[in-house]
Amino acid sequence: MTTFLQIITNGLMLGGLFAIVAIGLTLIFGIVKVVNFAHGEFLMVGMFLTWMITTRMGLHPFASVILVVPAMFVLGALTQRLLIQPLMGAEDDHVQIFATVGLSTALMNLALLTYGADIANTPTFGLRAPIELGPVRILTGQLYIFLAAIALVIALQLFLKNSQTGRAIRAVAQHRVAAELMGVNVPRIYILSFGLGAACVGLAAVLIAPLYPTSSNIGTYFVLTAFVVVVLGGLGSIPGAFFGAMVIGIVDSAAGYYIGSGLREAVVFGLFLVILILRPSGLFGKRMTLSHLS
Amino acid sequence: MSHSDISAGPDTSPGQAHSRRGAIALAGLLAALLVIPLVIDNAFVSHIFITICLFAALSTAWNIVGGFAGQMSLGHAMFYGIGAYVGMILFQIGISPWLGMFAGAAVAALVGMVISYPCFRLKGPFFTLASIAFLEVMRVLALQFTSVTGGATGMMIDLRLGWTWMVFRERWPSLLIVFGMLLITLAVAWAIRRSRLGFHLVATRERESAAKAAGVRTVRVRLIAVAISSALCAMLGTFHAMYLTFIEPAAMFSLVFSIQIAMFALIGGIGTVTGPLLGAVLLVPITEWARASLGSSALGLHGFVYGMVLIMFVLFMPNGIMSVIKRFITPKPPTDEPTTTETGPISAPAKAAEAPSPDRAGIGSDILRVEGLNKNFGGLAVTRDVNFTLREGEILGMIGPNGAGKTTVFNMISGFLAQDSGTVSLRGPDGQFHQPNNPADFAALGLGRTFQIVQPFAAMSVEENIMVGAFHRHHDEKNAREAARQTAWKMGLGPLLQAEARGLTIGGLKRLEVARVMAMEPRVLLLDEVMAGINQTDVRRAIDLMLSIRDGGVSIIAIEHVMQAVMSLSDRVIVLASGEVIAQGRPQDVVRDPQVIEAYLGKEFADAHA
Repeated sequence: MTTFLQIITNGLMLGGLFAIVAIGLTLIFGIVKVVNFAHGEFLMVGMFLTWMITTRMGLHPFASVILVVPAMFVLGALTQRLLIQPLMGAEDDHVQIFATVGLSTALMNLALLTYGADIANTPTFGLRAPIELGPVRILTGQLYIFLAAIALVIALQLFLKNSQTGRAIRAVAQHRVAAELMGVNVPRIYILSFGLGAACVGLAAVLIAPLYPTSSNIGTYFVLTAFVVVVLGGLGSIPGAFFGAMVIGIVDSAAGYYIGSGLREAVVFGLFLVILILRPSGLFGKRMTLSHLS
Repeated sequence: MSHSDISAGPDTSPGQAHSRRGAIALAGLLAALLVIPLVIDNAFVSHIFITICLFAALSTAWNIVGGFAGQMSLGHAMFYGIGAYVGMILFQIGISPWLGMFAGAAVAALVGMVISYPCFRLKGPFFTLASIAFLEVMRVLALQFTSVTGGATGMMIDLRLGWTWMVFRERWPSLLIVFGMLLITLAVAWAIRRSRLGFHLVATRERESAAKAAGVRTVRVRLIAVAISSALCAMLGTFHAMYLTFIEPAAMFSLVFSIQIAMFALIGGIGTVTGPLLGAVLLVPITEWARASLGSSALGLHGFVYGMVLIMFVLFMPNGIMSVIKRFITPKPPTDEPTTTETGPISAPAKAAEAPSPDRAGIGSDILRVEGLNKNFGGLAVTRDVNFTLREGEILGMIGPNGAGKTTVFNMISGFLAQDSGTVSLRGPDGQFHQPNNPADFAALGLGRTFQIVQPFAAMSVEENIMVGAFHRHHDEKNAREAARQTAWKMGLGPLLQAEARGLTIGGLKRLEVARVMAMEPRVLLLDEVMAGINQTDVRRAIDLMLSIRDGGVSIIAIEHVMQAVMSLSDRVIVLASGEVIAQGRPQDVVRDPQVIEAYLGKEFADAHA
């Protein structure tokens, strides 16, 4: 029983981790309608920034948030302005796919070029210390990630529902042309949204860096799961991404224990394919977001 | 997609010179790929040329699915890996890779078809994501099933040298083999591009519903493309495994490798036959040289270069090098013959046709029977118990206010929408009634349709658009082209044959819609508002055209709001309102029916008239 509880808890903690990475991805997809294949590399850039700030300045990794999040916002905004925006009018899917795939390849190898193949360990400042919660044990850092994911979901929902900018963003997400006719500056909303998505992954990077060793290919490790989570939760839905992440976290944790750690990836991706093909609006997709179906 | 290079037909005279020049350049390039390394005879140079040929061939094979069919796969390394592993495993038990390569091809083709089938309904980036996920699953499986694949440690071949084993001490035999495979792959891609299959693939890519209406079995043609593409990749994989003498899951099922394969096609020109070759020829030497000369001091440099090159091409040359080359070598049209954007008149004999009447001579027995057709969209009953028949040689007008369910009826009697209950029976050429249930089967029985909202294959020329229809009757490219041209001239599209469909006016697109379906030589023709938005002269011509089509023995159902046309064309008219047939009969009688007037103009108006 304790083992089972521990597996579920591990799953939820893993879910929090997947959620915080996936929220930015689903935000960008939901608004700009672009699948950002470079999302994992954004995370990697954020983690390297956290590592540099923490080691150079000797600060607590969480303190680097005040630099990392704005920096990532700028990176995201620039990506939208310089790479995605010129391609918005393209009739062919492949152009946007290749644009973000190219960015992903370039960023990953730039990191390899700059930092080499060695891994960079961000100082943990006690974040890897376990805490006991009744019969189960979790890492302090994991708990922070979980709580931050919940807070981020709530904050984004409030922002999108209640602020004037949030309303403009939702209008653009619903219908770009209609929003433009209502006087919304669509290109600016896109830049803002892409920046926001990247800022979210910046926050994720700050929280994750003390727990996971940073390397140039760390993005790939997280991003594929993030795609799974986003599809599972219903594309573009932020709460959906959160609950999707919980499901994937538990499946991952249980598969790792009961089937074997080597095959858990196959289980997760197998689940992804089944959902993508059978229920493309996602498990929690109430509104049918069928933009990806013919 | 905005690329198609089939417009240079073999019998257009400026195109001929153009394609001959292209062929010479291609032959020169291919010869250089073989001769340069043989002359220089240096191991490193040979290695680079082998790599060029390998990537060029893989990329050309990818292009059959990624370019022609428009399915952006980033999982193609999977098929290469399958070929490598099957070839390697068979090699270990003493079977020559020359045979193993075909075993691998068969396995890869099967795997490709099985995993692609459910993915075809995914669009754009989601197909891409699914292909990546499949690749990941494959890699994890290869890592796990250690007893078969050797797991993470990989597999090393026992050194058995010679042609039987495809393993050599020198480089040149490998070069010969991979060069031969490149030639075969290019030939296959070239043949597909010009064939009926190629047209069907591009048509499906451009506009799936219109392709279905033209009788294309969209799923089948894409499965064939996937099978061919994966089989070719697998054969190259077997070769490469023998060349490398060592394989491991991380290298064989690598996402980066998949991206590279697709990238060369993008850079050269997606959807063109020679684009992928050009991409590989230009890029492989640069990165291989950088990798060799800078070595570990510049870890990641070649990847960085690849990424930046991709971004630059996407931003500034999204259609690849081929599009630029084409712009340079395509001869400008002679100045004394200005390029026309005007459609010609529809050539139909204006004649005093027999007055339409339900009992006119020339009307035969029933050809289409619709019985008890019901359809609900959620709680909304779109059609309720719709019954009617169409007789051979008849023009049946279908009218009704907006939202009456006319187009829904069309969708059900052409196989695009499944009815909830009721039957649609169509008499085939064999004289028997059939109840087909999908667009391709309807088309096979001789039913053709147009769409109210025009659905051109945007990136294809007018001629190619019509050819897609003509391929329904003609299997040979030459005959299809000839048939398409005749239809185009008849429809007044002759001057625009080589124009891209996306540049046409709405009137031109309406004509193209009809021309495409006419090229199918249908026995039953469903026309959905083909007269909307065309000018008065053309309406008159279109009426004459429809009469001449009818006199050719074609039975027509026409949804039309242009009453002038409805009245003078229709032998009978049926009126739909709120999903029900409220009247049918002679046009003159139907328009006086109080129920019809009420449906169009409201109750008061009907009462006032009565």
